[in-house]
Amino acid sequence: MRTRRDPRAERQAKLVPGTARPRFLVGAAPAGFANAGAATGPTGRPRRDPRASRAAAVVRTAPRLRLDWTNKGQASLAIGTAQAAAAVKAAVRVIEEPAFLVLAVLDQPGGAPSDHDRQLIAGARLLADAGGGAVVAVTVEGVSGLGEAGADRLLALPADLAEGYEPERHAAAVLAAIETLKPRHVLFAESADGGADLARRVAAALGERLFAGVEALSPDRASRRARGGAAEMARAPARLMSVAADALPPHEGTVHEARTIPAPAFEAERRIGAVRPLAVDPDLIPLTETDFILSAGNGVTDWEGFAELARVLGATRGGSRVVCDEGHLPRERQVGASGSLVRAGCYVAYGIAGAPQHLQGITEVKRVVAINTDLHAEMIKRADLAIVADAQEVMPALIRHALERRAERQGKERRNA
Amino acid sequence: MLKVAVLLSIGRHPASGRPRRAPLDARALELALRLPGAEIHAVHAGDPAEPVLRDYLGMGLDRLTVLEIPAGSDPVPALVAHLKALSPDLILAGRCAEGGEDSGMLPYLVAQGLGAALLPDVADLSAGEGTATLTQALPRGRRRQAEARFPLVVSVHPAAPEPRQSAFARARRGLVEAVAASAPQDGFIGECEIRPWRPRPKRLRLAAGGSALERLKAATETKSGQGQVLVRPTADEAARAIYEYLVEQRVIGTS
Ligand SMILES: Cc1cc2nc3c(=O)[nH]c(=O)nc-3n(C[C@H](O)[C@H](O)[C@H](O)COP(=O)(O)OP(=O)(O)OC[C@H]3O[C@@H](n4cnc5c(N)ncnc54)[C@H](O)[C@@H]3O)c2cc1C
Repeated sequence: MRTRRDPRAERQAKLVPGTARPRFLVGAAPAGFANAGAATGPTGRPRRDPRASRAAAVVRTAPRLRLDWTNKGQASLAIGTAQAAAAVKAAVRVIEEPAFLVLAVLDQPGGAPSDHDRQLIAGARLLADAGGGAVVAVTVEGVSGLGEAGADRLLALPADLAEGYEPERHAAAVLAAIETLKPRHVLFAESADGGADLARRVAAALGERLFAGVEALSPDRASRRARGGAAEMARAPARLMSVAADALPPHEGTVHEARTIPAPAFEAERRIGAVRPLAVDPDLIPLTETDFILSAGNGVTDWEGFAELARVLGATRGGSRVVCDEGHLPRERQVGASGSLVRAGCYVAYGIAGAPQHLQGITEVKRVVAINTDLHAEMIKRADLAIVADAQEVMPALIRHALERRAERQGKERRNA
Repeated sequence: MLKVAVLLSIGRHPASGRPRRAPLDARALELALRLPGAEIHAVHAGDPAEPVLRDYLGMGLDRLTVLEIPAGSDPVPALVAHLKALSPDLILAGRCAEGGEDSGMLPYLVAQGLGAALLPDVADLSAGEGTATLTQALPRGRRRQAEARFPLVVSVHPAAPEPRQSAFARARRGLVEAVAASAPQDGFIGECEIRPWRPRPKRLRLAAGGSALERLKAATETKSGQGQVLVRPTADEAARAIYEYLVEQRVIGTS
């Protein structure tokens, strides 16, 4: 006698409860398996949850749905909980027993790490990670945030080294660090802020060859320009190297420990003294070098007021092509694609519309202030502080205000003294 | 009398590749020629038959000492030995050569060899009794003054005064004095692989992460500011806002 099968009942028995659409587990289900939310299926393979991955790819829902499938982790991080962000932050990479050390001697113009310094640490990271080494950033006291930049250890030199100009003491401090730590590589910043000088002082004192101005670096090869820029010299990374600006990308991804290690004592003979900054006429500094530019466009008609304002604020004068064409300013003061590409810290634009050719000249500028009568000018969009007003009215007011503030300051100083 | 040594090298024209007066060394010589009452000793290590040396003579030198060393050898030991015998107060050199290794190490090695102080990137100088007052050229057009004791090695910055032209008659009249010198072969450059320089693409500073749209925007659009906008303020309000902003960004000092 054959038993009678009931296909409907069998099918019903295989139904997985608790899912939106009916789902059946065909084949032998392991005993007790009824959990629809499990991460792996009955065969042990990871189970995909298409709904969840789609939800993770949502960048935004309004005004239109946008999905980003390329960068799932990032998208879910962006909309994920603060918890997830905290978990990512907490993952600090610790290198307890490094096989060797790589020193990155930071430049720190003005006491804070520059972009060049971050690139330097990234270069040291590259050399260290190739063989289980650790990066020691040689910095000055009171600097933070180098763990994100990729430094495992911090060696803080006295803070007064960054403030004054004592290249001999600075070199002695770095030499003492090299003496005690015996690093496999030492990287310097090839910069005119003092890094290039420091590298050469240290190399000369050690009697070692400096591979100066490295333009490309990998764990087994470093290359630099030579013969007046016509040739490329390459070899295995030397012990002492200085790295050119913008040759390497900054470090990203992992956060490192940046544990402080003691700085060795040092002594130096002082043969350079009486150091003081000299006052220079800001208007004579070339546009490409200066840090503060006051720039005029077609909206400026009061040229004497403009020159006066530049003098009062201590800025270098620049202008758009239109004003240089008309002869209000000499040609070498033109900013833009066919003029100078400037890298100032601050750019004040009076009556400049912001044509693409002009904006190309100021891509590297950090802060832009725009004064324009037209709210919809491109320059207003580019600006960090935009003022919709007539340039001819603002200029004398600004001159007056600056002079008042200066008089106030001087009065206060006289009272204090 | 102030004794000044100027270290001169042979440059290389960036376009044609032909030998020329090295621009920074010519500036160093110019600075030396401007020092009142200085006794100038010009020194070159290399080939005494090089015609470009005459361009330096034409700037106003009567004689130029050439330490005769073979090409591709290290000039530092020969220069240090020569300068030790000469014992000048002040040694001037360009901050970086052009046409060789161009590492800019030579002034430092000479200073180390002589036990002299060194000041880099000098744009101007004047000499006093036993010390010199120097003006250094810094980035962003800044200048710094410093004093240093003799013996002193100075590396000269491109911001130093333009060198004078070379006068043909003086160049003909000047004397090139060859001195035999020994120089070890420089092994380091032989170890390196040398090939023509090819320009690299400029590295873009791209923000990683974010959505594809954000990355595209970061790569293609001009940077847009923080966008604080004041619409039709009075002139005084506008002036105050601009001034406060400049002070906040430390563009204008409060001291
Ligand atoms: C091949 C090429 C290369 C170029 N290269 C450059 C370059 O290198 N540099 C460059 O600058 N340009 C360059 N240009 C020119 C560029 O396209 C623009 O024509 C130019 O930048 C416009 O200058 P502007 O903003 O001063 O003048 P305008 O376009 O005339 O703008 C004047 C602005 O001032 C405002 N304004 C008017 N009156 C007042 C007032 N009283 N107060 C305040 N604001 C006022 C107006 O609203 C307007 O926004 C180039 C063009 C070409 C074709």
